[in-house]
Amino acid sequence: MTRPTAKEIKAIADIAGVAVSNEVAERIANSIGPAFEGFASVAGTLPFDLEPATFIVVQQAANTPDKGAAQ
Amino acid sequence: MNTEPALMSLTSVAKAIAEKRVSSREATQACLDRIAQWQPRLNAFMAIEAEAALAATDAADAALAKGDRRGALHGVPLAHKDMYYEAGKVVTCGSKIRRDFVATKTSTALQRLKDAGTIRLGSLQMAEFAYGPTGHNAHYGPVHNPWAVDRITGGSSSGSGSAVAARLTFAAMGSDTGGSIRMPAHFCGVTGLKTTYGRISRAGAMPLSQSLDTVGPLARTAEDCALLLGLMAGADAQDPTAVAGPVPDYMAAAREPIKGLTIGVPSAFYVDDLDPEVARILDETVAALKREGADIVQVELPDQRQLTASCQLVLAVEAAAFHKRWLIERPQDYGPQVLMRLQNGLAIPGVIYLEAMRWRGSALAAHLAAVAGVDAVIAPVAPVAAPTIAESDVGNSPDAESVIQRLTRFTRPINYLGLPSLSIPAGFTRGGLPVGMQLIGRSFDEAMLLRIGAAFQRVTDFHERAPKSA
Repeated sequence: MTRPTAKEIKAIADIAGVAVSNEVAERIANSIGPAFEGFASVAGTLPFDLEPATFIVVQQAANTPDKGAAQ
Repeated sequence: MNTEPALMSLTSVAKAIAEKRVSSREATQACLDRIAQWQPRLNAFMAIEAEAALAATDAADAALAKGDRRGALHGVPLAHKDMYYEAGKVVTCGSKIRRDFVATKTSTALQRLKDAGTIRLGSLQMAEFAYGPTGHNAHYGPVHNPWAVDRITGGSSSGSGSAVAARLTFAAMGSDTGGSIRMPAHFCGVTGLKTTYGRISRAGAMPLSQSLDTVGPLARTAEDCALLLGLMAGADAQDPTAVAGPVPDYMAAAREPIKGLTIGVPSAFYVDDLDPEVARILDETVAALKREGADIVQVELPDQRQLTASCQLVLAVEAAAFHKRWLIERPQDYGPQVLMRLQNGLAIPGVIYLEAMRWRGSALAAHLAAVAGVDAVIAPVAPVAAPTIAESDVGNSPDAESVIQRLTRFTRPINYLGLPSLSIPAGFTRGGLPVGMQLIGRSFDEAMLLRIGAAFQRVTDFHERAPKSA
């Protein structure tokens, strides 16, 4: 996964219905580039059956009686 | 115990009012006196409702005289971040766009505190739409840190941090999507609880990112946070993400000793590139917990940079989606930095956003496995104490996002994982600025964090120190 260029960002923003100038597109590219790089090792590696609700499943499994609470 | 009402903790003043040692009017007037003294220098309040508050105190005192105590916070005056809807009240969300917005419903968390008997002092300043970690606000001016008024409070719950620290309110609700409770708690020297995603209903709270937003308190002590959490937590038909099931007895947990508990110190990331004063205070905090009987071990956490990046991707897209209509119709009404950050979300493809959401469960599972041997993890909230308002006023400059990311790098991973984290005052720099440490727990184990935080506060006095008025 590579970070999007200002040109690509301008096109994506236009499709989203919020047109941005070349200058803004350049700034966005600069701002979010590091997030793309940080996520690059995860992107494209996830197993087929994984869906967002897995988070709730894992979270609920951890929701055992509070160890910190008085019994 | 301090007998000057405004200097009491929330639990102390609630007890004093219940026992009729202090009237609601006396407690409220004490807060209003301090607000009059501090507000010109702090800019912590968005609105001050002195007359209505005092009228409400008289009703509360009269009810109590007849034996009618409404709840655990009967007659206690509070103010909250100006993003919690209260029917009939203006809720600005720190913005120009909502300068005149009048809410038609009351947020569940706020209603539960009202049901416990609280009185409204007014509303507190915040970052515009809760999207900023410093405390700057392009429309209403920056909120100032009461420990050094040329310093930031942290954000986005900037007014909450400043007002609680200066003893203008006994506690305040904040919200934490990327660090917005813990940052002000750290920079202002108060106790702040970022709750587990789903612990407290978000109904009627201004949304920023539906997958990351959490409601929580800033207060003077862990015990105060325990009291507030117990009142606000629990299922809510208006918010299906609020979990069902019994609410633990957090006050009881806060009284438990910590002997025999195991606390983990991360081996990397959270201990890298720290200001030497923050590093010293981390070491001193760990030593204090060890003296109280906790076992201290090193923990190796999964790569936190991936979590930080994921948090940024999710937050940017969801915030942009909430704001899309105004981004089209009223872009000129946003402050430059908030507009810039909302525009960031436009550039992230749907597939990338969904990958970040799909990975969340696996990332949480990996984290829980890494901390399986410990009861909590301790880490700094930020690598530095409060910067000056001037040096952190980066607006929409090209390096603004990188400055923001550096400041919030220790808080965002926790939001992505949806975990609870308690920020506690842990010391002061040699220049007199407060420094906080965060205790990070397992999902829904706020009780453990409050237990450790309260134990630490029984043997330290950082949370009791109040900034001096000039």
